[in-house]
Amino acid sequence: MKISRRNVLKGLATAGVAATAASLPVAADAREGYQVQADDVGMLFDSTLCVGCRACQTACKVRNKLVTDTRETQGGVYDAPLDLNGNTKNVIKIAQDGSATTYMKMQCMHCVDPACISVCMAGALHKVAGGITAYNAATCVGCRYCQIGCPFNVPKYEWQKSLPIAEDPKIVKCELCRHDQRGPACCEVCPRGAVIYGKRADLLKEAQRRVKASPGKYAEDRVYGEIDGGGTNVFYLSPADVSFKALGLPTLPREPLPALSENVQHTTYTLGIAPIALFTALTVVQLRNRGKGEQGHKEEK
Amino acid sequence: MAAHVHERPLGGAILTPAFKFLLALCGVWVLLVLVRLVWGLNGPFGYDTLLGVSAQSDGYAWGIWKPLNVVTFTGISAGAFAIGLLTYGFNKGEYHPLVRSAVMAGAMGYTLGGTSIMIDLGRYWNLWVIFVPSWLNWNSVLLEIALCVLAYTLVLWVEVAPSILEKLQASATPATAARAKGILGGLKKVMPFVISLAILLPTMHQSSLGGLFMVAHTKTHPYWHTGWLPALFLMTCLTMGFGAVVVIENLTTIAWGKKLDQALLARVSVVPAYILVAYIVIRVADVFWRFRDPVILARFESMGSPLFYGAFFLLELVLFGVAAAMLFNRKLRENRGTLFGAGLLLLFSGALYRFDTYLVAYQPGAGWKYFPTPLEILFSITLAAIGVTVYVLFVKLFPILSGVEATTAPGGQKSAASH
Repeated sequence: MKISRRNVLKGLATAGVAATAASLPVAADAREGYQVQADDVGMLFDSTLCVGCRACQTACKVRNKLVTDTRETQGGVYDAPLDLNGNTKNVIKIAQDGSATTYMKMQCMHCVDPACISVCMAGALHKVAGGITAYNAATCVGCRYCQIGCPFNVPKYEWQKSLPIAEDPKIVKCELCRHDQRGPACCEVCPRGAVIYGKRADLLKEAQRRVKASPGKYAEDRVYGEIDGGGTNVFYLSPADVSFKALGLPTLPREPLPALSENVQHTTYTLGIAPIALFTALTVVQLRNRGKGEQGHKEEK
Repeated sequence: MAAHVHERPLGGAILTPAFKFLLALCGVWVLLVLVRLVWGLNGPFGYDTLLGVSAQSDGYAWGIWKPLNVVTFTGISAGAFAIGLLTYGFNKGEYHPLVRSAVMAGAMGYTLGGTSIMIDLGRYWNLWVIFVPSWLNWNSVLLEIALCVLAYTLVLWVEVAPSILEKLQASATPATAARAKGILGGLKKVMPFVISLAILLPTMHQSSLGGLFMVAHTKTHPYWHTGWLPALFLMTCLTMGFGAVVVIENLTTIAWGKKLDQALLARVSVVPAYILVAYIVIRVADVFWRFRDPVILARFESMGSPLFYGAFFLLELVLFGVAAAMLFNRKLRENRGTLFGAGLLLLFSGALYRFDTYLVAYQPGAGWKYFPTPLEILFSITLAAIGVTVYVLFVKLFPILSGVEATTAPGGQKSAASH
């Protein structure tokens, strides 16, 4: 009797160790993730060209039929969003680094391998042709995990809405004007060509050309978005005296942000082996012990 | 082995003044839910006002309802998980008297946690989509939690069912009695499988509750952001579970004068002490290991306020350490008062680790602030009150608590108002 119990406990311990081991952060590269596709599109924003006219902000609101945001002017005459929000998919901000300032255009970065898509439970956020990160409210439960996951704080929620009648709250973010054949309104109206639209590969080449042509003109002498967080489809150039961080672009690891959680998750639950092993071990232990317990004490009817 | 101590219903009057007070709190919760449903998560006046229903914003998309109502409530509920693992997984039958009370508390905690999530969902009417297999994204840690928590809540109520059926078995109506007996017999046959699920499922989602923040590399302070989050959350949910068992056993004893098996509680309380030692070793080693990386160091620098974060990190470790030290000391754990204190400390330290990960360590970017509104806190308090109300009702009506003398039936004049 003792021996069989020990065996059973051993089995349980083995399953436990297996389950624990599987849940440890092993750097198994089991994950494939999204890769850059040949027809991916994106944008290039060159902060040294932007004069802060905010024509892009207005054009974005018009093309996306977004309500004006007059909260900061107490219902005054200006559409003056302070940040991206439920009414604003694109915003121009001032970025300050010490005494130097420049303009920053914020909208969805359309990451190559986006965290928001990785965390979204039923594909409300998903990739569509052109590498665009698109949103479909039909499968969105409003959990707002995308807002936690996005390193750029892009997805916004319509907090003032509630009831599922016409005005139901949604996640709001730039979708590169994919509903309109003309492409992103912001790129169309920019009078300085500070933001341009095109194929990701072409934009990257152009950005790199600019960096190469004027050494010392741009921050870090590089293009933000080429490799950051696995790469984005929107690229940024910042003047040399304003760091990317001051621009509001976080320092990201080279590997895509979802890699860690997806690897841990996939390693733990590969083919359901660990959970099934644990379940089986637990059940076997109980059935054996129950058999033994029957002569002794009567437990739980 | 000693004869099995049978659980008995407490009996006694139900509508005591304390119970009426609890019911009033439940009513307040219903009102708050109505306001949220009509005017949205911030309420009619917006998130940055004193009258906001919640202070959640685009920066802090999750407020206290996640770490408190979901992660802490289910952490307390992990008493069912912890005691179940010992009693059934490791065949320590002597802990059986603790099972039913823990399972009842667990069923309530999970039901409330799940309810809170659903009310917190912006588009709750769409929740059915997580049951359409072809749409599901298995990369989402939250999806695993959602499905697993729903399944486990059901499992917990199946585990509560025998208490109700045993009562019905004694029903005056022969048909009801026979029916209850039949179902009870069937349940007994499948119980081992149910219990296995009841251990497997919390292992999965309690670890995932920590895993949620693995994706937020740059927004979670490096003291907390690690690939070990799942393992650390799993360990601390067990310590919270043991703490909850100690606390609830003591509270029910204080409230209704049932017998408390101090020796049994003292024996079981050594287990969380060992888990805490493992936890502290992993936690500290992990921080030292990761901080060798210049990228992590740079992130640590850029997130600022090293004293603020350091203080919370150390406070956690000290609380966990003190709890472990108290439980390793035989004298302290065999004393009812100090063990009760250690139990509370287990709950509090685990809750702090959860709040730290979800809110203190979370930095969405410049300019965002979060502090819960009074109504947001009231929502959590009144939600907890529902849990206490249903627990009190169930232990009075059904055989859930052990150590209840058959003669003390009309006892319950006092009830646990605070919990």
